[in-house]
Formats: sequence, C-alpha cells, structure tokens
Amino acid sequence: MSAILEARGLGRTLPGERPVVLVHDIDLTIEPGCFTAIVGPSGCGKSSLLYLLGLLDRPTAGELLFEGHEMSGLSGDERAQVRLEHLGFVFQFHFLLPEFSALENVMLPMRRLGRLDIDEAEARARALLAEMALDGKEGKTPDKLSGGERQRVAIARALANDPALILGDEPTGNLDSHNSARVVESLLSLAHDQGRAVACVTHDLAIAEQADVRIEMLDGRIEKIVDRRVGA
Amino acid sequence: MIGRFLFLVSIALRHLARRRRQTVVAVSGVAVGVGFFLAVSALMVGSQNDFIDQLIESAPHIIVSDELRSPSPQPGTRVFGQGAVELHGYKVRTEVRGIKDWSAIVAAADAIPGALASPSLTGGVTLRLGGHEEALAVVGIEPEIETQISTIEDQLRVGHLRDLEKVQGGIIIGEELASRLGVKVGDIVAASTSTSKARSMRIVGLFKKGRAQLSSNSGYVLLREAQSLLGRPFIINRIGIHLADPYAAERAAARLERRFGYKAESWQERSSEFLSLLVTRNVIMYSVVSAILLVASFGIYTVVSNSVSDKQRDIAIMRSIGFSERDLQLVFVVEGIVLAAIGVVVGWMLGYVLMEILGSLRFPIAGEEETIPLDRSARQYAIAAAASFLAGAVAAWLPARKAARVDPVDILRGAV
Ligand SMILES: Nc1ncnc2c1ncn2[C@@H]1O[C@H](COP(=O)(O)OP(=O)(O)OP(=O)(O)O)[C@@H](O)[C@H]1O
Ligand SMILES: [Mg+2]
Repeated sequence: MSAILEARGLGRTLPGERPVVLVHDIDLTIEPGCFTAIVGPSGCGKSSLLYLLGLLDRPTAGELLFEGHEMSGLSGDERAQVRLEHLGFVFQFHFLLPEFSALENVMLPMRRLGRLDIDEAEARARALLAEMALDGKEGKTPDKLSGGERQRVAIARALANDPALILGDEPTGNLDSHNSARVVESLLSLAHDQGRAVACVTHDLAIAEQADVRIEMLDGRIEKIVDRRVGA
Repeated sequence: MIGRFLFLVSIALRHLARRRRQTVVAVSGVAVGVGFFLAVSALMVGSQNDFIDQLIESAPHIIVSDELRSPSPQPGTRVFGQGAVELHGYKVRTEVRGIKDWSAIVAAADAIPGALASPSLTGGVTLRLGGHEEALAVVGIEPEIETQISTIEDQLRVGHLRDLEKVQGGIIIGEELASRLGVKVGDIVAASTSTSKARSMRIVGLFKKGRAQLSSNSGYVLLREAQSLLGRPFIINRIGIHLADPYAAERAAARLERRFGYKAESWQERSSEFLSLLVTRNVIMYSVVSAILLVASFGIYTVVSNSVSDKQRDIAIMRSIGFSERDLQLVFVVEGIVLAAIGVVVGWMLGYVLMEILGSLRFPIAGEEETIPLDRSARQYAIAAAASFLAGAVAAWLPARKAARVDPVDILRGAV
C-alpha cells in the first residue's frame, strides 16, 4: 500500500547558543487504513515529531513526503493549504474556538476552504456531529459541553474537509476511561472503516495495544517500530 | 474570494462581540472624532465659502484703475532711454488722471467669454443740507451693467439702481449717512466739489447699513451725472469686470495689465491677506481633526492589540486548521476597520445632529437675524470616513502583524 506520509532522516534542532535536538533520524511511513500509535516516555520528542508530520513545524534535516510530494520547498501559505485540505488535528486539550457553537466550529475548515456553500457545509457538519453521537448539541458553545463532548467535536472538526490523515496528540489524555474508550473507538473506525490514515501520540497503553503500528520513541529518535497487521 | 473575506469578517465580529466594553469605548472615540470633525468643518468651510462668496461677489472680480504699478517713464527718458545717463532740471509732465483708451479696455474685457465690464468714475464731493456737511465718495455707474456685475442691488434697503435712470440728478447713499443728514428717499441734498458750484441731487435709494464693503460714505449716481458733477466729461477712472469663472480673475487681470499698463487688480490680490488667513485656519482645523482621529485610533489599537494577545490560542488553532498568516492578519485588521466603520456611522449621526443644532441658531448681526453659514456637503462626510478608515486600518494593522507572526507550535507546546 502506498504511504500517505513518508519521513526520511527527518530531524529538528532548535537553533541557539546551545542547540536543542528535538528529534533526529526519523524514518517512518504512515499508510491509509492504518492506526499508528506513537509512544515513549515524556520529553522524548513525540509532540515535536507530530508537529513536523502535521506541517506545523519545519524540519531542519531530512525530507518529508506527503502523498509522494516533497514538502520542504513549500511556502507557509502552501503548507497551510495542505493542512486545510488533507490534514486533521486532534489535541489533548479540546482546541475549540470559544465564540463559536459546536456546529460552527465544525464548519470553520469547510468555510475556509470554500468548496461547499454554507447550507452544504452546515448539513455536513450536522452529519459529522451525529456520527460522533453529538446530535442535539450543535448549538452549544464549548463552555457548555463536557470534556468528552468537546473532544468529539474536535474530531468532527478534524474530519470536516475529509482529510486523508488525522493526527492526534494524546487525544484521550484529558478524558476519563469511559469517554476515552469512545474517542478511541471513533479514531479506530476512521482508519478501519473509512480507510484514513490515523497517527496518535499516546501514553495510554490500551490505545497502543489496539494500534496497527506502534512507533516507540526514545531521546528524540525511533527506538522500535512494531507492525501488528496481518501479513506484515 | 469575497465569500472568504466575509467569513473572516464574521470571525472578527465574533471577537468584537466578546469584548463589548472596549468596543464601545473605541467606537465612541471614532464617533466623537467624526462628529466633531463634521461640525467644526461645516462651520469652518461654511464660513469660509460664505466669506469668499462675499469677497467674490461684493465687488467686481477685476478692477482696472487709473493707477500704474510703477510711475510711467517721462517723455525725456522715453526718447533718450538708452543714451541718457542722468536727467537734470527736467520738467516732469503732469498727466491727466483717468483711464485713456478705456473703451478699448472695456472691449478687450467684454471679449473674454462670459465677461462683462462696467466703466465708472469715482470722485469726492461734499453733500450739504442746511448747515450739515458730509464728504462723499461718489461713484458714477451705468446701472444696467452694474446690476449684472455686482451685488449692490441686493444691498439696497429702499429703491433700485435703475431708479437712477428715471430721476434727474438721482443719488443713492447709505442709511447711516442719510440718518446723519436727516434725509429720506425723495429728499433733495446739495452736492458740490472744490471746483464746481453746488447742484441739487434727489435721494432715490438707500443702502443697508453695516455692509463693510460699502463704506458708509459712498454714494451712487449715473456715470454721466458723475462726469459732469466732477467736471470730467468723458473720463472714467475705474473699470469693474465680472467674469464667468471668478477663479480665472488672477490670470485675466495679469493679461489686461500687461496689455494696457493700468493696474488691474483681481479679487484674489485685493484680498490676499484674508486668503492667507484662510489657509492658516484650514491648517489649524485639519491639525485638530488629525489629533482627534489619532486619539480615536489609540482606542482601536488597544482593542485589536488586546484581542491579539487574548487570542493566541485561537490563532494557533486556526493556523493548525489551515488558516494562513494572511488570513489571521486580515481578521484582526478587519476588527479595526469594523470599529472604524461603526464609529463613522455613529459619528455621522452625531455630526448631523450637531449641524442641525448649529444651523438652528440665530444671531443678530447689525440688526439682521443671521444664521451661521454651514457647509453640509457630502465631501465632509467622505473625508471624515476616509480618514477614520485609514486611521483604523493602520491602528489595527500594527497589532495584526503580531497575530500573523504567532508560531502555532510555540502555543501548542505551551498548552499541551
Ligand atoms: N522551545 C524549547 N526549548 C528547549 N527545549 C524544548 C523546547 N521545546 C521542547 N523542548 C524539549 O524537547 C523535548 C521534546 O519535547 P516534546 O514536547 O516533543 O516531548 P513529548 O514526547 O511530547 O513529551 P510529553 O509526553 O511530555 O508530551 C523535551 O525534552 C522538551 O523539554
Ligand atoms: Mg507531548
């Protein structure tokens, strides 16, 4: 299967008098229909790697191919456009815009992309929220939603423009076990039922156990990749 | 493209809706600036236009007089011009006062499209009634032409200029002079000069008092009446010219002066001191208005700047979703422009109300109920709006650049 995202010798060093190596020598591929877990001790560089993979940060070494295209030459605007069309993020702290209702938050990426008119965008946002079992909560602003509900709104928003790749940074880190299980279930279904690529940084062993591929990190590099898919 | 812009505007509006109090303060700043600009400029421009209208219309646009700007060369110098080193004991020729060839000048002036020239003769006479004497500058005119080139007619309290033609020896004098002499319309006064004997004149009209441009001691008679009264038949010493375009006066005057040699004074030259005073007034007005708008833009700067620093997290979210740096900059610039726009609309209303109040005031000036001349042209509204939008955009643009420069990774790292 062809990779959606491929990193070759990827590295990121913070410049300065005493440069800080966040990650180095990262080689990995992320494939559609596959749930990848990135695990490792705190401070080993998991988030830093995720920001590189999500085109939020620029690598200082190596290359990153998105659907076969080299990303390092792109301008900031072009990278933003790739994020808009092909990527969806879910962070540990439900990053919703406080002035907007759940429905409007989910509509934001669609309205920015502008492919759907407002009615179509609203219909799609309602459908996405319903998929996350959030029907009836569309009009609520984030402060009127529970932590689990907010996180599911965030997932719905990540799916707004039908991205090929979903990136999560401890998406369940802030949730109780019940809510956590529902979120994991949704993310797994995105990979297995919808054929998207999903990559999540996690501390949660239960999630790591269910992942198709487990990337274990240590001190800014990949220690081990465990592929548990049949035939791998 | 438009859709995206409106979308960014809607985000900006949401941000502003969340900070109502600051928004109200910033909007009030702009509104007060715009409102007072409108009121002050209506006053300033209104009075200025009124003043210039009076300057332009109260007297002919160009006055050709029998004066020369430099003494004319004496015949001796004219003849020996190049050769003569110095002339001694030469008898200076006395020139007869008055404009020679005046009909040629009148013809030349009339040849300018839309222009009309009126010859006149001015001289000093003494009016006498009983034991009372008053000096009077008498102006001989052709009423038919004079009514077309100046507003004298409007300033008559009683009678018409044309009445001079109907009454033998008719004269029009000022109300004040008439009351000093104790005469009214229809009465007869004696007029004399140093060289002629007294002759009877009948009052046919009176000027309103308090008109600065008409000295209280001038009077109007028919041109030929003045010529015979002053003992200068066929002579005139002044040509008033009315132009279709008053602002062409300076150039037309220069041309006439070059051609005929007589001093041709345009209304601009006559009132150059006043006009430079107006420039100063305008400089003062626009400085005050700029200062008000500067203060108003501080309000906008504060709101947008606070908004940017409160919204760091939201900026990071939007960047991660795929908004570009420019999108975010635009959101915050739009916040400033929206504040300016609301301020402009409120300011327009405020300005309108202030102008209504100013316009309803009545002032007694020299016995006349006068309203303040106000300029309510759309131009002032447009200037106020343009200046506010500019101030708002600049004031918002400075902090908005900061929003564009926010690195989402820094924020995400901090929050996670
Ligand atoms: N701006 C920075 N300056 C210096 N060091 C930094 C900076 N940002 C990150 N680091 C360091 O880089 C390392 C990797 O950070 P990162 O956030 O990627 O770790 P992580 O694996 O996500 O940790 P956690 O599981 O706690 O979230 C850490 O040791 C961190 O202290
Ligand atoms: Mg982390």
